[in-house]
Amino acid sequence: MSAAARSAIPRVRWHHRLQRGWVRATTAWPGLRSVLPFVPLVFSWWLVAELEVFPRAFLPGPGDVARSFVSLVRKGILPEYLADSITRLAVGTAAGVAIAIPLGVLIGMSRRAHAALWPPLLFFQAVGDIAWLPILLIWFGFGLTTMTFVIVYTVLFPVVLNTVLGIRSVNTDLVRAARSLGASRARVIWEVMLPGALPNIMTGLRNGLGYGWRALIAAEIIVGTSGIGFLMFDARRAGSVVEIMLGMVVLGVLWYAVDAWILAPIERATGQRWGMVTR
Amino acid sequence: MKALTIDRLSKTYFDPYKGTQVTAVRDVSLQVAPGEFVSVVGPSGCGKTTILNMIAGFLPHTGGEIRVDGRPIEGPGPDRGVVFQSFALFPWKTVLDNVGFGPKMRGVPRAERDRIAHEYLALAGLSHAADRYPAELSGGMQQRVGVVRALANEPDVLLMDEPFASVDAQTRLVLQEELTRIWQQRRTTVLFITHDVPEAVFLANRVVVMSQGRVLEEIEVPLAHPRRWDVLVEDDAFKSLSARVLQRVRTA
Repeated sequence: MSAAARSAIPRVRWHHRLQRGWVRATTAWPGLRSVLPFVPLVFSWWLVAELEVFPRAFLPGPGDVARSFVSLVRKGILPEYLADSITRLAVGTAAGVAIAIPLGVLIGMSRRAHAALWPPLLFFQAVGDIAWLPILLIWFGFGLTTMTFVIVYTVLFPVVLNTVLGIRSVNTDLVRAARSLGASRARVIWEVMLPGALPNIMTGLRNGLGYGWRALIAAEIIVGTSGIGFLMFDARRAGSVVEIMLGMVVLGVLWYAVDAWILAPIERATGQRWGMVTR
Repeated sequence: MKALTIDRLSKTYFDPYKGTQVTAVRDVSLQVAPGEFVSVVGPSGCGKTTILNMIAGFLPHTGGEIRVDGRPIEGPGPDRGVVFQSFALFPWKTVLDNVGFGPKMRGVPRAERDRIAHEYLALAGLSHAADRYPAELSGGMQQRVGVVRALANEPDVLLMDEPFASVDAQTRLVLQEELTRIWQQRRTTVLFITHDVPEAVFLANRVVVMSQGRVLEEIEVPLAHPRRWDVLVEDDAFKSLSARVLQRVRTA
């Protein structure tokens, strides 16, 4: 075989092997796809902590945080606080969405409702969630009412605004088709407007949940007697950086889980399945 | 199978950019007999789509009258089925549920409306696609669903707004032949809007030529059904009719 012929045979390079291995591995264990990107991050953290670039009490390593995780789970504190935070978020989000979607549909479909409600909506959107806390504390005190109010308030705006956008971008021909097939105006809302606006409503929900989650932690720090936010703030009082960092990790992991197990599957089953949004 | 009567129909609207009243449709009168297929052809902006939108009840008319089976129309309704250029299929419904939508709005129970939908899908050779979503189909298949969805609701009049303008040229010929076949079987009253002269002649019993919001001329098309392109493309009567319509459209 001549040299020219030999060089014409494609050689399998190392990065091709790596790519093939990655595809095989992630097909076998889909969880790998979400875990592996964090490996360099955790490794760097471990390295910096291990080299004691900063004093250990200021920057504990991944091992310290993991041990703190185990101990707080054993004591039952972390599960309890986590359950409290998630319940608050779920209740607040459900209430927020229950108000926001009908409101968004109304504003999206009616010129008059838009004229009347849009300006105050923008006004109150600007008065951010945390800016309400001082007055809420005076009105409702340090309790569940205050925290629920803040979450509902935070979830409300992104869902309303995106629902309005979604309703307004529903193709006119779809509404016309439904009407000429015998749908009443009321049925058009259910059969055309809501499914048509769903990709936007999901975007609103995604934003709302994200903001709501952050607002909850802030509210728990200021108001709370339990919850992940309270755990972190309480740890600050005790000077425990480990527990603060544990709280931060829990927040990130939890959001990742909500996205991967709740939001993304809904989006895959709706807008993406129907070809309304491209991946 | 009912008659469509349009009597001195007008549409004027206020153009905020020009600051004046604009007349899109002027005193148009048109009769479509029960079971007749009428094409309306004309250049862009001649008012043909505006007329269809008024008949469908999507736009209010500002003068004259529209009657289906003798009754004046009031807004959109299931007596007038519409096929759209954009197909307008519901992306979140399967092909079966798209076709069953009209019966569903009438309160037909699930099993019965699925039976109706399957029957109509078979009519267009779409039985295999019943469980697919519209986005998974080609443009030609999507518009077959659009036609069948309108028919499955058994409208008195079928209104078609340039339905084949956005499918490719080969598919268009096939869809046109299928439409003449289905029309011959069902004898639905059809008003078909197009800017494509051969298409207008190929499909219709009568071609209405429009320009600048008026009817210029009505030309009878006494060709036999079913119509096929491989026959008509060589047919002298078809060629001279097309030439006549084209002449009228161009001098419009």
